Amino acid sequence: MAEVDGGNGTLRVGVFVCQCGLNIAGTVDCDSVARFSEDLEDVVVVYNNKYTCSEPGQLEIRKAIEENNLNRVVIASCSPRMHEPTFRAALEAAGLNPYLLEMANLREHCSWVHIGEKDEATEKAKDLVKMAVARARSLEAQEEMIVPITQKAMVVGGGVAGIQAALDLADAGYKVYLIEKEPSIGGIMAQIDKTYPTMDCSI
Amino acid sequence: MADVGRHPNVELHAYSEVDAVTGYVGNFSVTVRKKARYVDVKECTACGDCEDVCPITAPNEFEIGLSTRKAIYQPFPQAVPSAYVLNIEECLGNNPIACGKCLEVCDKKCIDYDDKDELINIEVGTILVCIGMDVYDPTALDEFGYTQYENVITSMEFERLINSGGPTKGHLIRLTDREQPKTVAFIQCVGSRDENRGNPYCSNFCCMNTVKDCLLIKDHYPDVDIKVFYMDIRAFGKGFEDLFQRSKDAGTIYVRGIPGEIEEDPVTKSLKLYVENTTEGTVECHKADMVVLSIGAIPRRDSSSIQQLLTLQRSQDGFFLEAHPKLKPVDAATQGVFFAGCAESPKDIKDSVTQAGAAAARANRLMMQGKVKVEAITSTIIPDLCKACGICVKVCPYHAISCDTKAKTPATVVEAACAGCGACSAECPFGAISMKHFTDPQIEAQIDAMLEVDAKDKVLAFACNWCSYSGGDLAGTNRFQYPPNTRLIRTMCSGRVDKKFVLRAFARGAPIVLVSGCHFADCHYINAVHWTQRRIEKLWDELEKKGIRPERLQLEWISAAEGQKFATVMRAVEELRQQVTQEEIEHTKKVLADVLEPSKLRAPKQPAASEEAPAQEAAA
Amino acid sequence: MAEEAKFKCLRCMSEFCLPYTPGVTEERTCPNCSSNSVRRIKGDKK
Repeated sequence: MAEVDGGNGTLRVGVFVCQCGLNIAGTVDCDSVARFSEDLEDVVVVYNNKYTCSEPGQLEIRKAIEENNLNRVVIASCSPRMHEPTFRAALEAAGLNPYLLEMANLREHCSWVHIGEKDEATEKAKDLVKMAVARARSLEAQEEMIVPITQKAMVVGGGVAGIQAALDLADAGYKVYLIEKEPSIGGIMAQIDKTYPTMDCSI
Repeated sequence: MADVGRHPNVELHAYSEVDAVTGYVGNFSVTVRKKARYVDVKECTACGDCEDVCPITAPNEFEIGLSTRKAIYQPFPQAVPSAYVLNIEECLGNNPIACGKCLEVCDKKCIDYDDKDELINIEVGTILVCIGMDVYDPTALDEFGYTQYENVITSMEFERLINSGGPTKGHLIRLTDREQPKTVAFIQCVGSRDENRGNPYCSNFCCMNTVKDCLLIKDHYPDVDIKVFYMDIRAFGKGFEDLFQRSKDAGTIYVRGIPGEIEEDPVTKSLKLYVENTTEGTVECHKADMVVLSIGAIPRRDSSSIQQLLTLQRSQDGFFLEAHPKLKPVDAATQGVFFAGCAESPKDIKDSVTQAGAAAARANRLMMQGKVKVEAITSTIIPDLCKACGICVKVCPYHAISCDTKAKTPATVVEAACAGCGACSAECPFGAISMKHFTDPQIEAQIDAMLEVDAKDKVLAFACNWCSYSGGDLAGTNRFQYPPNTRLIRTMCSGRVDKKFVLRAFARGAPIVLVSGCHFADCHYINAVHWTQRRIEKLWDELEKKGIRPERLQLEWISAAEGQKFATVMRAVEELRQQVTQEEIEHTKKVLADVLEPSKLRAPKQPAASEEAPAQEAAA
Repeated sequence: MAEEAKFKCLRCMSEFCLPYTPGVTEERTCPNCSSNSVRRIKGDKK
């Protein structure tokens, strides 16, 4: 389960500080955060990019992993709910298990909510990176389970949206179960006389 | 509509409800309740013989009570499936001596008074939630007199009155005297865009619906005078402005201002509308023979049932919350579930059709791959530490853990059924459950790193991935500012926040610890959030016993839609932090010093005898 | 009928009564400051 740490048990963490244009760099001193990150335990390389999520940014992650033999990656950028899948894919492309990634949210949870408080926001950003590196050091590779998908869909509600969705999926070849609470499908649409903008009949 | 009935790939279950859902993306197992219809859908030819002989009359729901139907009826002529339904509450036929007339006349013998609800099980890979909306009930808005004056009707009732298939065959008449009105007034935004009464949001389609209604009236009855009372006319869509101009050209008068009062003439039953015309700055009185209230949309009143079955979230307006407002507008946060139509927000037919196409495409994209990767965030039992006490079995909302407490064999986890909340790991008294990707050492490393320097200036906040952390993201997207002293630690569920994490934080000098999670109704893990609350309640007692002010441990439920609340909470905890003194922190560190000793961390102790499962109602 | 019990808000420190059923975990909100840090004051049931 545990990652073979570079073959010799050593941790090699790479940190990528993203400026997100001015979204982060406008409030957080990214250079200062990057310099701070260099001194964190097991960090071997720190990058400071304009847009880490961009195509060149992702390529740089791949290159950095390969050149520096990284086995943990910390990306200090936006919310993991935004770009974690993007960066996990970048790790995978470099042959690293995607679960060896940790993100620090310098945008939604820092620069965007502490506008005009540059010093405090920068201190917070450093803490967030420090916490991310600390967590990254104990991350382990995980194998994702691959499960088959049943080639059938259920549509709950037979109004205009449900009818259209059911027909689209049925036309695409899937078996569709359309569940309607009332004795007939049609929903509110069926009660409407003419409909705009075409002024034609609803049913 | 008829296409659905005919399509070989569509299996239509009308008069049915979703009773239970288990499983996960790609592999949902759904129990559907086919309600007793008392009429065999396959055999019924909708000949109507039964209806002719039925002695019972009841208000016709489809016509919003403007006409009647029988106890055995077809909802409307174009209904799909084209079959009758029997309302057994109204029917006398339970007792053949009393009636049984429909049974006698039915040639196909497709009526069965003993029909029962039937449960069927279906296996599906994706689920599309298209449950639609309800309309706003204007009875609360007294000034419009909907309950007092018969000639004040809703826009839905108007639809039936102008419909050639409706109770009046499309003749627009007043309900009091069945005469055609000479003047009709429309009032916009009834129940919409009002913070105090009704709903704060715009219902999207009512402006254009009224524009359409005006054109319909002018089409049928060019001499009828129409006045529309409005706040703003929102004619933003393709072809909408054109239609708006056409209604003006046809003679519709638009008056900017919502009437504050309506009075009825007791003799003519016509109506007087008192309104401040905000364009002219004058108070005016307008007369109308009929008033149509343009009522807005509200979330379906039964939304919470499907919400709980699929662990969905709703935004503040009550409509379902999408995974991302721009980039995943039809995806639910629950993988494999999609939204279309008014379930997600009020929208018109074109937008509903567009969104349905998008949702179908998203579902197709998932299904056509044939397989899906599921996140490897599941729990694993450490057999050497497990004492087979069985607590985890009670904790797990997904019944993914089994344990033979008599045989004292270690518990086992069905990984495919485990959703990864981590409540079991937090509740295990022996530290015998490890959460992949959210292990104790990983979370403890974050706590230690955060509090290593200047701990007294910082607030440690645990936030669940789905709600609180996302609420924080929303605060960011909206630029809601708050003090920069908090540091968040993300867990999948607040149920993962082990008591020892909180104590460790205090032992490391944290002045304030916040645990935040989903509202009970939003919990992404059925009812795991109950365990959070119980744990925090116990911790408050424990802290107090140790001489630590319990208010230094804060608990908040913040949904993904509550960016504003997130910022408010962050401000509140910072205020509390400033009240914590250095002496207090030092005292706490001394009292809790033992929790930092590694030997004690895993020390097995007897579980408290009073461990009970949390209230199961949320799971039901 | 639901009993009531006395609660205290750990944010604004106000005290108030809310419905309470022993053994049932419920979401609670302070009527004064909307905080969810609402703690039951034990031995003070009404």
